[in-house]
Amino acid sequence: MKIHEENKGTVKVIRLIGKVMSGPDLMEVKTAFESAVNNDFKRILVDLGGVSWMDSSGLGVLVSGHTTVSRAQGKMVILNATKKIHELFIITKLITVFDTFNDEIEALAALEG
Amino acid sequence: MLTGISLTVPSDERMLETVQVFVESVGLAGGVASDELTSLSIAVMELVRNGMKHGNSMNPEKPLVIRADALPGRLSFQVEDTGCWQPDRDMGYRPGEGAELLDVRGRGILIARNLAKWVEFDLTPEGKTRATLIWPLT
Repeated sequence: MKIHEENKGTVKVIRLIGKVMSGPDLMEVKTAFESAVNNDFKRILVDLGGVSWMDSSGLGVLVSGHTTVSRAQGKMVILNATKKIHELFIITKLITVFDTFNDEIEALAALEG
Repeated sequence: MLTGISLTVPSDERMLETVQVFVESVGLAGGVASDELTSLSIAVMELVRNGMKHGNSMNPEKPLVIRADALPGRLSFQVEDTGCWQPDRDMGYRPGEGAELLDVRGRGILIARNLAKWVEFDLTPEGKTRATLIWPLT
């Protein structure tokens, strides 16, 4: 798995690419959320468009990120969740927790709002 | 016909991708539709990771065995660890409601059961935990 980070104004964009499965890589994702918040980014966009595989561990780290950002009075949104990941969101009811978008402009607008 | 295929791996998270590739390869050879392979591997891998973590305490010296068999109209995967934990009792049914939704763990069995439709747990004759997943072929 790879993590690409970029700043778009006041928004930290975290793009995950590849297989998101249990292991050391997940700690890097968790650290990316914490680092963003510690650097005063309160608006986080997580792009899952490049994720080819994800299990409950991957969902867990997204929940962890959501909690980290929420505690800092910030907001996190999900972009480009694949059909398979969306199915996992529904099974686990996380669809009621995450705001999901398929358009980056709309996702950024939601964070600005 | 696929019968008696097995893979034994140490309980080490670094082996997870190897197991995932194994499961999808078996699924493909066994007739699982290509667009279902990811769901199959996610379901089986939830059981594999649970076995490594809860049954074998992520001890690399404790093996995890994944067996695959083709049955009429379906594939069977069995995951055996060296523990004697009781997944339904120990893990419960998640995700629950309210604040429980924000737990970072506890979704594995729920996901496996929803994707595979049929997942059960029992004990081997030696008293070790065994998870059985049935994947119907369409």
